[in-house]
Amino acid sequence: MWWLKRNGYDLILASGQTRKYSFMLKPTIVRDTKTMSDQITHMPVDPGDVTGEEHWARRDDIDLFLFRRYSPKARAASPDKPVLFLVHGSSFSARTAYDLDIPGKGDYSLMKTFAGLGYDVWTMDHEGYGKSSRTDGFSTIADGVEDLKAAAPVVEAATGRSAFTFFGSSSGALRAGAFANACPERVERMVLAALVWTGEGSPTLKKRAERIDEWRATNRRVVDESAYRGIFTRDVEGLTVAELPAAAAAAEIANGGGSVPNGTYIDMCINLPVVDPLKINCPVMIFRGDHDGIATDEDVLRFFTALPNKDKQLVMVTGQAHNTTIGINRQRFWHALNGFLSIPPRIDN
Amino acid sequence: MTEMWSHEYWAHKGDVKLYMFRKRLGAPVADEMPKPILFLVHGSSFSGPTGFDLHVQGKTDYSLMEKFAEYGYDVWTLDHEGYGRSDSTDGNSPIAEGVRDLKAGMDVVMRDTGQTSLAFYGSSSGALRASAFAEHYPDHVNKLVLDAFVWTGKDAPTLIERAKKMDIWTASNMRVIDKPFLLSIFTRDKPGTSEDGVAEALANAELAICNAVPTGTYVDMCVNLPVCNPTKIRCPVLIIRGEHDGVATEEDLLNYFNLLPNRNKQFVIIAGQAHVSHLGVNRARFWHVMRRFLEMPARIDSSSL
Repeated sequence: MWWLKRNGYDLILASGQTRKYSFMLKPTIVRDTKTMSDQITHMPVDPGDVTGEEHWARRDDIDLFLFRRYSPKARAASPDKPVLFLVHGSSFSARTAYDLDIPGKGDYSLMKTFAGLGYDVWTMDHEGYGKSSRTDGFSTIADGVEDLKAAAPVVEAATGRSAFTFFGSSSGALRAGAFANACPERVERMVLAALVWTGEGSPTLKKRAERIDEWRATNRRVVDESAYRGIFTRDVEGLTVAELPAAAAAAEIANGGGSVPNGTYIDMCINLPVVDPLKINCPVMIFRGDHDGIATDEDVLRFFTALPNKDKQLVMVTGQAHNTTIGINRQRFWHALNGFLSIPPRIDN
Repeated sequence: MTEMWSHEYWAHKGDVKLYMFRKRLGAPVADEMPKPILFLVHGSSFSGPTGFDLHVQGKTDYSLMEKFAEYGYDVWTLDHEGYGRSDSTDGNSPIAEGVRDLKAGMDVVMRDTGQTSLAFYGSSSGALRASAFAEHYPDHVNKLVLDAFVWTGKDAPTLIERAKKMDIWTASNMRVIDKPFLLSIFTRDKPGTSEDGVAEALANAELAICNAVPTGTYVDMCVNLPVCNPTKIRCPVLIIRGEHDGVATEEDLLNYFNLLPNRNKQFVIIAGQAHVSHLGVNRARFWHVMRRFLEMPARIDSSSL
């Protein structure tokens, strides 16, 4: 693996400045032999050889933790499947959101599921989240874009691909969308879940803004079982399993978290919009649950309307609240996500 | 490998006989596991089997019926009053008449299969017929795919052009179709969105069985829109639209979409496609999107966990 020999490189910025990036591959290789059920229609059965790899990116003096899962067998069977980069939201670190395990409750890891389908799946803890460096900063959406800029060369070095498919949920969708604005050459396709654009009329953000002084007073807030229970039940009860808040809180501690930065909360309360749909060039799918108070239908529809690429889909699914990836109907989300990512290529006559 | 099986039926709408055609893998057998049924509704200018079961010499995969039969569906279509092999009357077969046709067809499907609720797909004015049917008979429609649909028709380039000939559409209950007209359907939005020879094959197939079609859906689309009310549709809906489709503006369709009360709904635009999705060069993308919609896993409720 040639990238193991490298320990960094220089990125020349448009301004002519050189920014130093360094990364290292930790020797941790997690073998996971658990066989996942073939719960998605027309999806291949997981070959049971999904691996986990830790990688690191560096932005200035911030170390950023990246995690990768793929199945060598599934990759060999479908080598053209894209690199799928998952961008986390405000209150979970990457693996709590996308690589969760709740024993006895079925498949919760989006990473394992899509690795089993042949995707090369990556995620990252943003500044101040999980295993990434704690700073005095707030880790805003704009900081998230810088994190993604630092991650991209690491992923490129490991995969040989220079553009990736991005998935972001909630403020992760804002980070991904803003990154697509800033670095369109890195984003070949994008899926935005639990998206909010202007925030106009949003019940969740109206409530969140009542505590704006609290979010601004300090750069971090605690996330524990009680905080997670609030997140999972604020839209509607019964669309997540009862074990989820405790499992998420335990995972968050295990993943290096327990508290998270406040920047995305502040952005969502007072700085929207932070993404310009007119400047997203790639195909886009917007996925929206029927009980998601983060945005109104109208706000999301107007964002969708403004997207210039004519490969675009707006998929609304019932039985889903804000956290589509870890709800009881997450298979409906997987189905829609895989459907969008596996559309046959366009033919030009 | 199971053979493609097909059968013809006749539906009866009063004295009017309507031709129906069905394709699936393998003949039906008693006590079989029921296949999901997909009912295809044709548009203004060519009949059901012509558009949905087209075979083009030297090319493959132009039959939408066979494609979805291969996917495991039991696929039906019907020639509306005045079209193809069905009876003509002195009426002009408008959208409202199409709803009555579909009810007669539905009775045949129910009698033959025992299934009472189906997935419906309609293209162009077929989408208007299908959505109007879903409003009137919600118990018979479990999923609805509206392709090349139009709601109010506001600012639609195709309809502005069509309305210039209103005196022709209202002068008679039928309009003559010929090869140049049928070919023009495939080039009016964007030449190159279908393969050479496809429009020709379609024209030959249709002109072999008729040389005129009713004017009712053209009149409806020019002067009577909207004929559909989204707030009355109960089932999940997929709205699918080619990038180059002049029959409606995106805004018109999004306004319709926003009013659909069932929040299982999808709005999909497909680049590289024009008005006739199922005969376009990128039809595989259309099949993919429709199939994914039809096969969305069932919703789980917490009480079932």
